[in-house]
Amino acid sequence: MATPSDGKATDDDMFKIIKTSTNALGPRRARLALPGRRAIETPHYLGLTSRGIIPHVSQDNFESLMDVSGVYIALEDFIERAPQKVPAILKFARQRPVDPLRRFVALPDETLLVVGARRTPPLAAPAANSNTNTSVAISTAIGFKTLKAEDYAEDVELLKPDVVIGLGDIPYERALSSKRIEKAVDRQIQWLKDHVTSRQQVEAEDGTSCKLFAALLPVSCANQQYYIECLTGEARDDIHGLAVYDLETLSDLPESLSDLPRMGFNDSKTPHDILRNVALGIDVHAVPILTIASEAGIALDFDLSRQDRSSGILPLGIDMWLTGHATDLGPLAKGCTCYACTDHHRAYLQHLLNAKEMLAWVLLQVHNHAVMDRFFAAIRQSIDRGTFDADAEVFARAYEPQLPAQTGSGPRLRGYQYRSDHAGETKKNPKAYDAFTKLDTPDTVGTPDEAEVAALTGSIRPAEVK
Amino acid sequence: MPSAQPPDPMPPKPSALTFNLLARCSTTKARASLLTLPHGEVKLPIFMPVATQASLKGLTPKQLEDTGCGLCLNNTYHLGLKPGQKVLDAVGGAHKLQGWKGNILTDSGGFQMVSLLHLATVTEAGVEFLSPHDKSPMLLTPEHSISLQNSIGSDIIMQLDDVIATTSPDNARIKEATDRSVRWLDRCIAAHKNPESQNLFCIIQGGLDLDLRRQCCIEMVARDTPGIAIGGLSGGEAKDAYCKVVSTCTDMLPAGKPRYVMGVGYPEDLVVSVALGADMFDCVWPTRTARFGNAVTDFGVLNLRHASYAEDFRPVEEGCGCKICLPKDKGGLGVTRAFVYHTAAKETVGAHLLSMHNVFYQLGLMGRIRQAILEDRYPEFLKAYFQKLYAGEKSKYPDWAIGALKEVGVDLLQG
Ligand SMILES: [Zn+2]
Ligand SMILES: [Zn+2]
Repeated sequence: MATPSDGKATDDDMFKIIKTSTNALGPRRARLALPGRRAIETPHYLGLTSRGIIPHVSQDNFESLMDVSGVYIALEDFIERAPQKVPAILKFARQRPVDPLRRFVALPDETLLVVGARRTPPLAAPAANSNTNTSVAISTAIGFKTLKAEDYAEDVELLKPDVVIGLGDIPYERALSSKRIEKAVDRQIQWLKDHVTSRQQVEAEDGTSCKLFAALLPVSCANQQYYIECLTGEARDDIHGLAVYDLETLSDLPESLSDLPRMGFNDSKTPHDILRNVALGIDVHAVPILTIASEAGIALDFDLSRQDRSSGILPLGIDMWLTGHATDLGPLAKGCTCYACTDHHRAYLQHLLNAKEMLAWVLLQVHNHAVMDRFFAAIRQSIDRGTFDADAEVFARAYEPQLPAQTGSGPRLRGYQYRSDHAGETKKNPKAYDAFTKLDTPDTVGTPDEAEVAALTGSIRPAEVK
Repeated sequence: MPSAQPPDPMPPKPSALTFNLLARCSTTKARASLLTLPHGEVKLPIFMPVATQASLKGLTPKQLEDTGCGLCLNNTYHLGLKPGQKVLDAVGGAHKLQGWKGNILTDSGGFQMVSLLHLATVTEAGVEFLSPHDKSPMLLTPEHSISLQNSIGSDIIMQLDDVIATTSPDNARIKEATDRSVRWLDRCIAAHKNPESQNLFCIIQGGLDLDLRRQCCIEMVARDTPGIAIGGLSGGEAKDAYCKVVSTCTDMLPAGKPRYVMGVGYPEDLVVSVALGADMFDCVWPTRTARFGNAVTDFGVLNLRHASYAEDFRPVEEGCGCKICLPKDKGGLGVTRAFVYHTAAKETVGAHLLSMHNVFYQLGLMGRIRQAILEDRYPEFLKAYFQKLYAGEKSKYPDWAIGALKEVGVDLLQG
């Protein structure tokens, strides 16, 4: 029998608030524990997946080299042929109903799986594909599609993640007019009610269902009053948490919803943003900067509890593309104990990036997630000590406001990273090679330039003319 | 009181390996042996995955080690370009660079010069080529190739040889290349700074001319390198001609040294080449093909990017013991073909998963081959292997394999 003391949770104590701030809006400490999963001390973050895995991190590395407690998975990554064709993952779920999503993406038992409709951050749909009263626009591997609210509810319940984010009428990248808000509120209420009804059927058949987190519109609670009333009223017992898309929503969150865990899906681009989210009471954070930094060749290097302030304003990361690292056998970041920093060094990272080897992004992901693990651990300690506000202030002064700019090139852009607005658009990043790719050359080797050839041939003198 | 030893009248050439021949097949020329190199023992016959630029297609050195790999390749040409000799010297070689505790074999760089750089020509001095940048003439000498490989610090290094296509019709040129490769071996031996920590292998040349191959074997063997490679093959020659060359050479080579056939990696080629007496192989194919969604299995190559696998919930290869294929209750990941289909060509992880399976497959195949030789049932192994690969349809067996194995006493069509 699992008990909270061995790290596994029972059903009753899903979310326990350990320490809350005196004002309603403030940093808080809690524990999110779902049945069978590792209990997550909050504030914490979710690893963000693409097609079910954290980019560049195969499941064996996820298990053995990383310490990510939970991940966020977007349904839109799995349903490109729906509804014409039943997606493979749903067929899989019908054939193997035990923990099907986890089995399909092959992630460990202890990892918390959170599912939502859209990726984080999502690719905004072109205006022509907007949400309707019964559907949202989603971006799939084969272009924009619509996802019906009823299909969403049915699919996610079938996949049995630990947490499902209710479908939100979130107008990504677009402002909401008051008329549009009204419409969105109506939709949210309807979608939530329908989802709850469909869950009741699942529960009647299965005995269990995942935890439902209600998506809040990215406006203040006052501006979505009827929806909030629904959440505090008739739907109160059917929801287990909140998904927050804009911090404004927290400004007037009613007391009766305060004991629910809050997942933050506002687009935090820096650790400063994360600290602001924590300060306003987000418990679990979706953090897109990890993969973005890794693919940019940047090893994150920041620490809430760093004492050394002697060297002026510190950068938030180190650009591993810089040739200065070429012979540096030191770790990516001083004091880091991750696999990339203990088994490898900057010189290898620089070489891998320079040689366009995929392993560069693997090692950077391992490192950057380790930095984030420590950052959140320090945040929790800081809240426990009661020094969070002061620590965050010191951090804000100690570090640069932005991540270092990317100097080298990243992986080939994938479909979800850009929107093809025009037919016949040229490829996003053209091949950097052509003439010299034959036989044994790696797929990425380009034409060697003069300096490279000179480096290769070193002592070689110009050939004698015979 | 210890007395001074009299000097050995014939001091053995320095070598950084020991080779123990453990078993020979009583029918074919297959051998099982143990090769001890500076970074650990490896069991032969062996397949060596190619980590061209000090990295194996996105796998960590730890993942590579977990597949059971103890000896992989790096390419001198590529490491000479990136990170370059200066960096290699500064970081202390390729093992240090990539955090690899196992053994490394490097090629000479000459083959890639010739095949990658257009207009490369070979003179007695070395491989001459035009700088791709300003077309100024450059030269790779045997001495410089060895110097680069000394900087890389690989456990096995290869001589610079004069490589020409086996399909070349110019017999005089083939003869010249063969003789020159012998002369270059002498220059490589003289230039080699670390014979006590790095093993220099010679490379037998001679095109498809068996007499020339025999002569070359005599010359090369006389130079007593720690190991011997059979080169200039897998360049598009007919498979039966390939088999004749390998078989002719292994007949001429001393039993007490490892024999490496360069650039071979298709499973059929491996099982036949072992029967012909070869011990070591390398090829980029298993990992390169993984990037295109191809899984190597006992039943042939499956292209998991094909829509027919989208809803195939079986493991990549049923019964495979790799981390990817093993079911969850046996400590594996239980990844399905459908998941590989789902990620192949869309996320690098799709390629990583197949690379792991394919490398594991190749190493596992060599392990099964070795076990069969040790138990003296290699002919039975061969028959069963082809039977499975061609789903019992003997009419589909390739003629070259039937012919080559008949020469060493195995009739694939019998029994
Ligand atoms: Zn690290
Ligand atoms: Zn496998």
